[in-house]
Amino acid sequence: MSTLHAAAPKTVEQTARSVKSKKLLSRTLLWIFLLLVAAFALFPIILAFFGSLKTNLELTTGTTMLPKEWKFGNYLQAWNTANFARFTWNSVFISVFTTLGTLLVGTMAAYAVARVDFIGKKLYVMIQSCTLFISIGAVVLRPQFDLMVALGLQKSLWGVIIILISAHATAFFMLIGFVRAVPRELDEAAFIDGCNFYSVYFRVILPLLTPALGVTALWTFRGAWNEYILPLVFTMTQPALQTLTVGLAGLKYGIGDAAQPQLMLAGACLSMLPMIVVYIFANKSFMQMTAGSVKG
Amino acid sequence: MNQARRQINAWTFVAPSLILTLIFGVYPIFWALKYMFYDYQGFGEPLYIGLDNFERLFRDKEFWHSVVNTFIYAGGKLLVTLPLSFVLAVILNRALKGRQLLRAVYFLPTVISASVMAIVFYVIFNSYNGMVNQLLVGSGIVSAPIDWLGPKYALLTAIIIAIWGAVGNYMLLFIAGLQNIPEDLYEAASLDGAGPLRKMWSITVPMLGPVLQMIIMLAITVSLKGYESIMVLTEGGPYGKTEVMYLYLYKLFFPVSSGGTSIQQFGYGSAVGFATAVIVGLITLIYFYVSKKLNDIY
Repeated sequence: MSTLHAAAPKTVEQTARSVKSKKLLSRTLLWIFLLLVAAFALFPIILAFFGSLKTNLELTTGTTMLPKEWKFGNYLQAWNTANFARFTWNSVFISVFTTLGTLLVGTMAAYAVARVDFIGKKLYVMIQSCTLFISIGAVVLRPQFDLMVALGLQKSLWGVIIILISAHATAFFMLIGFVRAVPRELDEAAFIDGCNFYSVYFRVILPLLTPALGVTALWTFRGAWNEYILPLVFTMTQPALQTLTVGLAGLKYGIGDAAQPQLMLAGACLSMLPMIVVYIFANKSFMQMTAGSVKG
Repeated sequence: MNQARRQINAWTFVAPSLILTLIFGVYPIFWALKYMFYDYQGFGEPLYIGLDNFERLFRDKEFWHSVVNTFIYAGGKLLVTLPLSFVLAVILNRALKGRQLLRAVYFLPTVISASVMAIVFYVIFNSYNGMVNQLLVGSGIVSAPIDWLGPKYALLTAIIIAIWGAVGNYMLLFIAGLQNIPEDLYEAASLDGAGPLRKMWSITVPMLGPVLQMIIMLAITVSLKGYESIMVLTEGGPYGKTEVMYLYLYKLFFPVSSGGTSIQQFGYGSAVGFATAVIVGLITLIYFYVSKKLNDIY
């Protein structure tokens, strides 16, 4: 009798302890897994950063992750000699104007589609969605280039900017959702107060869309900043117009001299840095945009 | 009168978008649809040759080789990316300390340019003196440096890079889908004594159904189309081992580097472009059909 009594609470305690240790084990395994994936995500960026501060010699023969001697001069060299100052300016120029243009064209169309049942609306929306789904790859670049030659814009960055703006279907579809979220009653109230179609757009819709515009702008800016093939094709014979992505890839082929991996990494860090800084402050907006595309 | 004015107003607002789309989005497609029946090298008079380009396409071993490579590349990428990002999404959708930070870290690769990262990977995966090999050899994991960009491993390296860039994106899409599932379903299941696996199969997967289908379809098309990072990393080499179909197509129109040259074949290139679009479209359709069938059975 007494032994039974004594044994019973002990088993409960034991099972409780084994459940607890099992839980602890699964938690530990879970965290090991999560941290491994985090390491996988961060590893290349960290390696690029440390590598960009090494000498060419250490980069090719060294065995430590951290540089022995921190060569910040690599960045100066990339900025001045390798022309990254120019590339950065071109990237900023393209990204800013592409973003502004996309927002303007996108919000105007989204406003009209969301608020007016105009003739041919279905056809217009269908054309926009077709451009999202049909992809014939690099073929389109050829006629696009010829068009820019015809317009006399192939020797400036405006050609690239206009083509990037013309690919605004994604932004357009997202903006429709945002405009629809603005209550129609506000438009109607503004109409009664004497506003017309245009002033409603400027005074009601745009101000109320501001947060959404910020998110869309980030998204568009990222796309333009990271674009590689379009600016490559347009600036192949004009190094002065190349963007960071194009100029950086160009380093791979060396300009007459031996490959300089430390410069490539410094250049890569220069190109990544603005996006990473923006991301640190606005990662929620970035993620909101991606998540939004599922919710529709 | 008022109605007519509204029509005109709306059209003036849609006009910039429509004009840009028609000129730079739609016209190039018709351009390709025309020239795929022509022999056109970029100079001289284009010559109408009927279906000759397509005949050549069917005999073009290099093209079909690139199609096979595309399937391996896309398949390898998806086989790792989708399950991994799904698992991460399920974990990070629960209450977990630090989940915001982890999400932000996993998503970070997606804000960086594929071409920039390809350069970084090109340097760190370099065969004899890349940092990855230095670390692997230095820590004794492998005895001799691995030729990451050589004929044997280049495609694998390209797949690893693609996975690196994609996991965070699909994780986030899955999380967005998961958040649409009402919490009380799980509570009810818990009351009925369902374990975590049971909840996964009986609630999460079926409830996620349509979203899951959409995300996977998106993933398939995106991974079939991707060629930017391969173009920078290996240019399709060595010996065509990493040549994917959209890269092959690109090379028929433009040189890979600013110093390089290419033999321009616009007519044949248009036919190849048409064929690649059809291949991607067919795969999407097949997937759509099969997944719909599976949904019906479920």
